Amino acid sequence: MTAAPMLVQATAPHGRLRRQSPLMRLIGAPAGAILVAFILIQVLCIAYALIAPDEFRYLSSQNLTILMKAVPVLGCMALGVGVLMIAGEFDLSVGSVYALTAIVMAVQVGSGMSPFLAAPLAVLIGVAIGLLHGFITLRAALPSFIVTLGGLLFWRGAVLLYNGAVQVRFDPGPAFQGLFGGTFLGINAAFWWFLALSLAFYLLLHRHRFGNHVFATGGNRAAATAIGIDVNRVKMTAFAIAGGMAAFAGILATVRVGSVQPGQGTGLELQAIAACVIGGLSLTGGRGSVLGIFLGGMLIHTITNVLLLMRAPGFYLDMFIAVLIVGAAAFNSMIERKGRG
Amino acid sequence: MHMPILELHNITKRFGALTALRDLSFHVNEGEVIGLLGDNGAGKSTAVNLISGIHKPSGGHLFVDGKQTLFSCRTDSAEAGIETIYQNTALVDSLSITRNIFMGRELCTHAGMLKLAEMREIAMQVLKSAVHISGIDSPDMLVGELSGGQKQAVAIARAVFFKRRILMLDEPTSALSVRETEALLNQVLKLKAENVSSVLVTHNLYHAYQVCDRFVIMSHGTKVFDVAKADTSISQLTEYVVLT
Ligand SMILES: Nc1ncnc2c1ncn2[C@@H]1O[C@H](COP(=O)(O)OP(=O)(O)O)[C@@H](O)[C@H]1O
Ligand SMILES: [Mg+2]
Repeated sequence: MTAAPMLVQATAPHGRLRRQSPLMRLIGAPAGAILVAFILIQVLCIAYALIAPDEFRYLSSQNLTILMKAVPVLGCMALGVGVLMIAGEFDLSVGSVYALTAIVMAVQVGSGMSPFLAAPLAVLIGVAIGLLHGFITLRAALPSFIVTLGGLLFWRGAVLLYNGAVQVRFDPGPAFQGLFGGTFLGINAAFWWFLALSLAFYLLLHRHRFGNHVFATGGNRAAATAIGIDVNRVKMTAFAIAGGMAAFAGILATVRVGSVQPGQGTGLELQAIAACVIGGLSLTGGRGSVLGIFLGGMLIHTITNVLLLMRAPGFYLDMFIAVLIVGAAAFNSMIERKGRG
Repeated sequence: MHMPILELHNITKRFGALTALRDLSFHVNEGEVIGLLGDNGAGKSTAVNLISGIHKPSGGHLFVDGKQTLFSCRTDSAEAGIETIYQNTALVDSLSITRNIFMGRELCTHAGMLKLAEMREIAMQVLKSAVHISGIDSPDMLVGELSGGQKQAVAIARAVFFKRRILMLDEPTSALSVRETEALLNQVLKLKAENVSSVLVTHNLYHAYQVCDRFVIMSHGTKVFDVAKADTSISQLTEYVVLT
């Protein structure tokens, strides 16, 4: 080798690296901002409930039970939608899939099928629909937004085609009822399911190889492909998870109410996406956390609950959540622009 | 230097009616740094992509260690020991340095659970020894927090760790500061000392002259000059590139 000209012993500049206060670092972390917001709101609610327990019955066991029953349906749906969002795709159809699979399950149980068969069947149909959406999206290279918007309308129509515009009663018997609607250690079974699934999703997304590939697929598709990750397979799996979780949410809701309405779950897909956005998921994929999704779902219901307890008219709720979503999205994109991924 | 580790023989690449590469032949020896030079549109990136397995040749042959090879995807070339460092490095901003270094080749249990502590330990060593990157104090830092030069350094660290034998660098310095560029060129030389070859595509002849052993100059999809550093000067190189 010929002697190369001497090079300056180079030190890379520190670039964007600044020393930040722990609080700022926390807020910049994937679920940091929502964690801070969530704790703050809880502290305020609990303090107010302790000061004025009669006016603000936030801590009454009745209210806590309502909260625990309400969160899991949205929460489970948001977990599935969230994984898909991190992989860089949307699913707008989950509200309709949730209604269709729940109706199928209820009708089957009504005509004699064991709920322990009908429920897995419902989840399987959800998975199959998710795969179909994924297949069309990837094969035709269409935005998943459009394909699943089609799904939203199509499967809602399929509900009516399958069983007409009638309510279906669901009476699965005590064993099934206990498993999904009972109480264990003072906590509602549906909430236990939500906790367990959140933990499972945490392991899958943050501690498993698959999760690494989901982040890579949504965060830098070209890089993921270059490194040999099968991004289409990752996305198909994520679509399947979103569909399956929508169906599972349908099971929880049906057990809780004891019947299925054909119009059930309308708008739930938007709430699920809202929970994800509030939880710090990027709209362009590649960024987010299970803790964020969990807290996003919890926060939507906490706020709903607080406004109900304060007897605010329903439209306040929608307006408040709207502000929260847009604010959260703006905050997320600000964090992303600052280069923290 | 005996047998070339990489050899292109009469490679042609057509995109529809356009012929981007025409009978391109050159070789890379072990531990050699090649400067791939030429005007915009000369076909340098196409050549790099072909060697990386992103494009398939329309004609001609590719040899690795003297054996004829056909790369049908990026993974094939990686398995042959070739790593491509892009201008926009193939990293995921929202993930840590550790996770990026091991992306696609994670250390896992049978069930696919990540061995995070183990990977972190190795990443720390890679960052400390293989390539020295200043300003990175922990493998837990998100890649999105790094500067352009640091990102490239991480990409190179990854290549080194996985024992790549040839680095393909397509205009790696175009987004870097002066000091980051120097650090990058230094790394190329360090790797050369460990017998890792590089193919450096750059517009900057001074950078090329600093580190390359041989220059392959392309024009309109084919090679017009192939000259060792000992047999040329920077002013002659400038003439070659400008006049062809
Ligand atoms: N994927 C592609 N499809 C069609 N034409 C391409 C493609 N990639 C490169 N080309 C064409 O091939 C020629 C060589 O391009 P390129 O290899 O990028 O040149 P360089 O990197 O030397 O500037 C150009 O005319 C370019 O337009
Ligand atoms: Mg180029």
